[in-house]
Amino acid sequence: MSAHIEHPLTRRDALLKGGAGFGGVALSWLLGNDARAAEAKPVDPLAAKTPHHKAQAKSVIFLFMEGGPSHIDLFDPKPLLNKLHGQKLPASFKPVILAMGENDAPLAGCKRTFAQHGKGGLWFSDWVPHMATCADDLAVVRSCWMNGINHSGGVCQMNTGSILAGRPSLGSWVSYGLGTENTNLPAFVVMQDNPTSVVNGPRNWGAGFMPAVYQGTRLGAGKEPIPNLHTPTAVGDERQRQKLDYLAKLNQKHAEARPEQTELDARIRAYELAFRMQAEAPEAVDLAKETPETLALYGADQKETETFGRQCLLARRLVERGVRFVQLYHGAGSKWDSHSNLDKNHSALCKSMDKPVAGLLADLKRKGLLDSTLVVWGGEFGRTPMSEQGNGRDHNPYGFTMLMAGAGVKGGRAYGTTDELGLHAVEDRLHVHDLHATWLNLMGVDHMKLIYKHKGRPERPTLNEGEPFTRLVMG
Amino acid sequence: MSRGVRSFVIAPTLLMLLTAYAVAADDYFEKSVRPILVENCLRCHGPDKQKGGLRVDSRTALLTGGESGPAIIPGKPDESLLVRAVRHQGLKMPPLKQLPDEQRTTLAKWVKDGAAWGTEIAKPSGTGQAVRKPGQITDTDRAWWAFQKPTRPEVPKAGNGWAKTPIDHFIAQRLGAEKLTHAPEADRHTLIRRLTFDLTGLPPTPPEVTAFVEDRSPDAYEKLVDRLLASPRYGERQARAWLDVVRYAESDGYRLDGPRTHAWRYRDYVVKAFNDDKGYDRFAKEQLAGDELYPGEPDARVATGYLRLWPYEYNQKDVRGQWTNIQNDITDVTADAFLGLGMGCARCHDHKFDPILQKDYFALQSFFAGVSFRDELVFASAAAKTDYEMKLAEWKTKTADLRANLDAMIAPLHKKVDATLGDRYPVEIQTILHKRPADRTPGEQQLYELAMRQIQELDYDRASTKLSKERKTEYDALKKEFDAIEKPMPPLAMVARDLGPKAAEVVIPGGRKAAVPVEPAFPVVLGYAPPEPAAKAASTGRRAAFAEWLTRKDHPLTARVMVNRLWQGHFGTGLVATASDFGTLGEKPSHPELLDWLAAEFTEKNWSAKHIHRLIVTSSVYRQASVGASKTTAAGRNPKLVDPDNRLLSRMSVRRLDAEQVRDAMLAVSGELKFDTGGPSVPADKPQRSVYTRVLRNTPDPLLASFDAADGVTSCARRNITVTPTQALLLLNGSGTLARAEAFAARVMPAEGKNAPAGVIAAYRHAYGRSPTTEEAADAIEFLRQQVGVASGKAVTPEGRKKAWTDFCHALLNSNEFLYVD
Repeated sequence: MSAHIEHPLTRRDALLKGGAGFGGVALSWLLGNDARAAEAKPVDPLAAKTPHHKAQAKSVIFLFMEGGPSHIDLFDPKPLLNKLHGQKLPASFKPVILAMGENDAPLAGCKRTFAQHGKGGLWFSDWVPHMATCADDLAVVRSCWMNGINHSGGVCQMNTGSILAGRPSLGSWVSYGLGTENTNLPAFVVMQDNPTSVVNGPRNWGAGFMPAVYQGTRLGAGKEPIPNLHTPTAVGDERQRQKLDYLAKLNQKHAEARPEQTELDARIRAYELAFRMQAEAPEAVDLAKETPETLALYGADQKETETFGRQCLLARRLVERGVRFVQLYHGAGSKWDSHSNLDKNHSALCKSMDKPVAGLLADLKRKGLLDSTLVVWGGEFGRTPMSEQGNGRDHNPYGFTMLMAGAGVKGGRAYGTTDELGLHAVEDRLHVHDLHATWLNLMGVDHMKLIYKHKGRPERPTLNEGEPFTRLVMG
Repeated sequence: MSRGVRSFVIAPTLLMLLTAYAVAADDYFEKSVRPILVENCLRCHGPDKQKGGLRVDSRTALLTGGESGPAIIPGKPDESLLVRAVRHQGLKMPPLKQLPDEQRTTLAKWVKDGAAWGTEIAKPSGTGQAVRKPGQITDTDRAWWAFQKPTRPEVPKAGNGWAKTPIDHFIAQRLGAEKLTHAPEADRHTLIRRLTFDLTGLPPTPPEVTAFVEDRSPDAYEKLVDRLLASPRYGERQARAWLDVVRYAESDGYRLDGPRTHAWRYRDYVVKAFNDDKGYDRFAKEQLAGDELYPGEPDARVATGYLRLWPYEYNQKDVRGQWTNIQNDITDVTADAFLGLGMGCARCHDHKFDPILQKDYFALQSFFAGVSFRDELVFASAAAKTDYEMKLAEWKTKTADLRANLDAMIAPLHKKVDATLGDRYPVEIQTILHKRPADRTPGEQQLYELAMRQIQELDYDRASTKLSKERKTEYDALKKEFDAIEKPMPPLAMVARDLGPKAAEVVIPGGRKAAVPVEPAFPVVLGYAPPEPAAKAASTGRRAAFAEWLTRKDHPLTARVMVNRLWQGHFGTGLVATASDFGTLGEKPSHPELLDWLAAEFTEKNWSAKHIHRLIVTSSVYRQASVGASKTTAAGRNPKLVDPDNRLLSRMSVRRLDAEQVRDAMLAVSGELKFDTGGPSVPADKPQRSVYTRVLRNTPDPLLASFDAADGVTSCARRNITVTPTQALLLLNGSGTLARAEAFAARVMPAEGKNAPAGVIAAYRHAYGRSPTTEEAADAIEFLRQQVGVASGKAVTPEGRKKAWTDFCHALLNSNEFLYVD
């Protein structure tokens, strides 16, 4: 796939080099002149592209637990921690910089009960009973680490590879590298479980230095999930249609006088795409056709799990329709951040998250979608074994857990380890770059070959670092 | 970019051989070699630490080596540092124990057999470019065109008869060499629209168009150029391009994205600098070292706001890490903006493609190693100062009791902060916080100031949140009363100055303990002797030394980089397409002699941007038509095929309006645009020009963002130009555009019963700068007739009429002719 070595410097270049046809319905009333369209063949930057190698995953669903869930209270049991409860961190553990700086706080034992589940005997705490039923599909990666000690840097790095702002989000890289299978829907979709702004706001799904066409689209709540998708009611369909007719005529005349300016076709086409999106998106996000059984599977029929359950179900519907990258923020606005009262906080969040996630995995599996969908679960970091404010835990980017399922990932087992207290990742340490390289690899993308030329330099999604952790699929 | 590129390209047959070979070798590597490296070396030479600049976790890293040179030379174990070190020949590695014989032999054998590394050996190079030898600058490097001092070339003779300025002769020569020809001059409607958008970012008004089109004087065009260059709108437009380059924003970025309520003073400084046509040399010097070079001048102090544009995290306990990021950010942007050299890669290693050394990066950083960041009162005049002080004194008297009461409530809490000062920070920072000021080194002082800035914000400023519930109620009541008394707005500016005569030590990170401080110096490849900054009581003189060097008339990069940016502003693409990268990764200039000629002209005419603008826009090449100009020439050459990107400029390129132009043009055409110049920024729903709307890093305005506005986070040399359904939906269904259309309609809709064609003509003239053709007018009237019917229902209503006209105007605002400039 040499397409990524050279990014065309001009639109014109893109249009001349591109060969992809329209496909689908040509709205001749909008486009006007078919002959012209056929000749110009503007390339869609989001047209599906061939991966570097055979892809295991066609799509990714990234369940982002924003704020940092406590790995040691969920998936990485530490018996020693309970033994040392109330004591200082032993000197043999390398000290860390704490975000809140409660430097001498004692260790806090874990109050959860852990049990082994599935054929592989994976450990899950009693906070996630439903996810535990998917044990054999889940790979628990316990040795993740990253550089951001605060939420902003952490969320930024988990999304873009860098704790500093300015780089494209992973979903943007994937959209750039692979395009989308369904151009009538956005390639990269973001949802959040509550209206509080995700830390860093929309730049988490921004395209950074890449063109805006690769940025994520946030599906909002309510009647109009895609902003500006619908004709305003005050305008009405008939007026809108006539207006579009007239607009098409204006643009057509303008373009006819400028036969060498093929980029003008791209803009005409953007209206066509917008129109097709108007037609297709409402159906994609309409859950009315789902059975009560399916809704119940996701917990969409219960108050605590309804919101996230519906979003997980939406994620499945989008993936089914060829959307490449779906990111769901759970606990948007750092809700998982438990500097105090961790028990209360995590109990409620787990309750609202656990069943929907399990439902998603089960539903993807029975629909045969799990084989081609990579599901990732995790936050920007984990939490410290040391307490904070008595009953909370501080941020822990030095060692934390992420879960992966689907796309050939061998579930039912844990990978990598943290130290005996869960503070530092020790064995098979996987930096965010390694995680990104791994996910890209599953999508058929070589992280070192996916190149976007920016300011003369070859930029890569993992800042030229990282290795795919192939044992996840090789076993 | 440690693993960026493999050092060799292997021919296909060899590649196959190697792949087969690699299987056996891989096995040996995986089973015997990798475990030795992982167990014994990786802790200090891996992803976490790179002692001596060395990593051992990839073959490339070993081949590149660290400070002592390559760690392995495949096939030559005795010459390989890795093998020598484990044998304790010279270096001793691992430092505390020697590896057993068996492991030493294994490593030696592995190197002797070619040091195969997993499958990596079989991978061809990522980009096909050779890796540079670390630490070396060669004659070839020095010979790169952009590193030569520009000399004024002879103006070619080609193009006589067509040429209006020397620029045209250079263009004509290239066109002639390619057997291409130029396009005819564009018509006057096109010219005034193009020129007005280019110089001021706005569409021309109908009277402006009429005046120009009907001006029969021979210098009508030149007069138009003069008028536009003198317009205050010129500075607003040109400033935006510079603000992109310096990643200007009015918020901190990071989680809170805290507002920077005083940042606008720097923006106003830039607008004014362009309007006043301040020489670019002076402009650069003020931003980099205004405090050192022009200490008495308020503008020059505000200009140092350039050094304050980095993102900032108010609650970052890793104070040293944040300080490093700030220093790196200033270094990267300075290299991009002023030198047109991408130096970021050299932060971690000698640049792999450009002749930029890691040492160069830190030598550049060293110029900024004395800085101290302040928010200071900057008065435009003595009178302004007196006035402010008088008002402040009044305010102080009025609030004396209230302040005393509030302070009394807060004082115990502040005392608590004093007592526990910094105990939530890493030990290193705590130690610094408790040192006596005189004992702090400059580097420690910088960390002290950064930590105290955070403690001020987090602990002192928010102390009232720690009051008991009752006391808080009491406090809030008093505070409300206090806030009701208007405080005179302090003319605060975000500025930079130096701590004093001494700078902090700059060392290359990850190096050995006894690292030698890196002194200020210019990139080695440029061949200038390091400066000897003249320290004064208040400053190191370092930034001044850099600024003076940068603005030498014979500087190889400074003038070229800036004239190229100005050129890009008119043609969409610079003579060098990569406007912030004149290094070997950038593109070579399409017209090198023209670039040099412009650079010479720039420096000789006092670095006047207006002079360059005038030269460009009065040239024939700029005045060419874009439409209908791609005809095959007499010589049988089709410009569309010979020069698809139109880099040779055989016609003008059609360009889409950029984000701010789209927004400003809609407001201008609808008649809503307010020309208030400068001052604090306003939200995007206010009808001020986009350059005055608030720029928040985390929440960009959706309209501006969808049209590819700069993000204010990293230096943006050139905007992307995308065409997306999101834009279409925003313009079609977004409430903003609909509101513009309503206002536009109200402006052009004739009174009932009056002549519809007059309204259509007015709308066309506002939106497109021309009148409609008869056919277009008929189409519009027909559309209006139908739409009135649809919008009114059975009988025509005034409301229906208004809606129909709104739809007509809305269609114009959505049309390509409105959004593109010919």
